[in-house]
Amino acid sequence: MPARNGSVLFEQLALPLLPSLYSHAFWLSRNQEDAEDIVQETISKALRAFDSFQSGTNFRAWIFRILRNTFLTSRAAIATSRTVFMEDHVDLFDVSDPSPTPEDHLLRLDNHAALTEALERLHPQLREVLLLCEIEELKYKEIAVVLDIPIGTVMSRISRARRTLYAQLSQQVGSLL
Amino acid sequence: MIQDHQHLSYEEVSALVDGELIPRDAHDLEQHLASCHSCALSVISAMQLKSATKRAFKRFAPPPEVLTRFRARLLPETPKNPARVYTARSLIRGALAACLLLALSLLIRREVRQSSGLAAELLDQHLALLSSDSPPEVISSDRHTVKPWFDGKLPFSFNLPDAFPSGTTLKGGDLIFLDGHPAALLVFTVGRHQASVFLTQRSFAGTPSVARRTLSGFTIQYAKTQDLYLTVVSDGNPSDLALLVSALVAEQSPR
Ligand SMILES: [Zn+2]
Repeated sequence: MPARNGSVLFEQLALPLLPSLYSHAFWLSRNQEDAEDIVQETISKALRAFDSFQSGTNFRAWIFRILRNTFLTSRAAIATSRTVFMEDHVDLFDVSDPSPTPEDHLLRLDNHAALTEALERLHPQLREVLLLCEIEELKYKEIAVVLDIPIGTVMSRISRARRTLYAQLSQQVGSLL
Repeated sequence: MIQDHQHLSYEEVSALVDGELIPRDAHDLEQHLASCHSCALSVISAMQLKSATKRAFKRFAPPPEVLTRFRARLLPETPKNPARVYTARSLIRGALAACLLLALSLLIRREVRQSSGLAAELLDQHLALLSSDSPPEVISSDRHTVKPWFDGKLPFSFNLPDAFPSGTTLKGGDLIFLDGHPAALLVFTVGRHQASVFLTQRSFAGTPSVARRTLSGFTIQYAKTQDLYLTVVSDGNPSDLALLVSALVAEQSPR
């Protein structure tokens, strides 16, 4: 494909995703300047690598993956919490997957502050997968591409993120009683 | 494989509320849900958590200027050449064109120099651009592309209006040096004529003695804003050029 058409196509594909990329970069880096740098670098990398992008495959997953890798090599990630994104033990906990207990149904989810706090306390890896699922509304197979993990791991990680939220909310409710 | 009597696992509930179960599994689960109150509650509870989570996570919107910089970055990367300096001599291609333009340039220069040496330089630049087949460094009619391209390249900033007068189109821009100082060159098409707009910082520009001159069919129009000198050089219709100048000047006023 001629370079000029390629770059026009790239622009068409990437332009609508800029706000999403920025928001996700902000969630990962927790800093406005770092988020901007990460997105700028993502655009540059994606432009250079666009020849290797297979048309017909998922552009959104492809560019979010570049964004994530850019974050992991950014000074923001190295300075703070890069390792927590690379850990794999998070998937090894709670291999057994018990059915929900009846208490779960009693949770009150109208406490916005409690939920926000629980999300803040969530392991970064679990928060990341939940963000991709709930805010960016990526499909499991897209998340698998972004995080470079099997789709089964995506499913268990999201489930684990939600169970952790439940557990934290239950504790908060418990401590209030 | 999901048996009728088996309760749903957490992963199944989670995938179900995300719409991620393959249809065969989803069918089996729904059959179970129809007869199991406990699992039905789990699904409802998971749906509530999902929507509460969506509300609790907020999306961070990029500030407008950040979005503008992203858009600028989206354009194909052009090689970062050092700023080109246009001179009539170096850019005129073809001996005949060179002779004609040089004669014209010298003729006009002699007239202009009496009032302003800078005007002669600007006219040279405009003529050089007309005779050159190298396009401006940034080629775009989109102000969101052209303006950010200058970011960091100039010691001053300027604004571009949302829309230009009808018949006037932005073609692109370039960084040039005037009298040793960086200046923004904006290239427009005004009707069927090309117009060069030069933006320079006021402290460097000297005081122009005239607001408009017409010399050998070329109009040189000046305008002062708080921080900038703006000069248009073109052989286009002077009243069209005046409209372009006032549109540009209006955008520079502090808000
Ligand atoms: Zn059941």
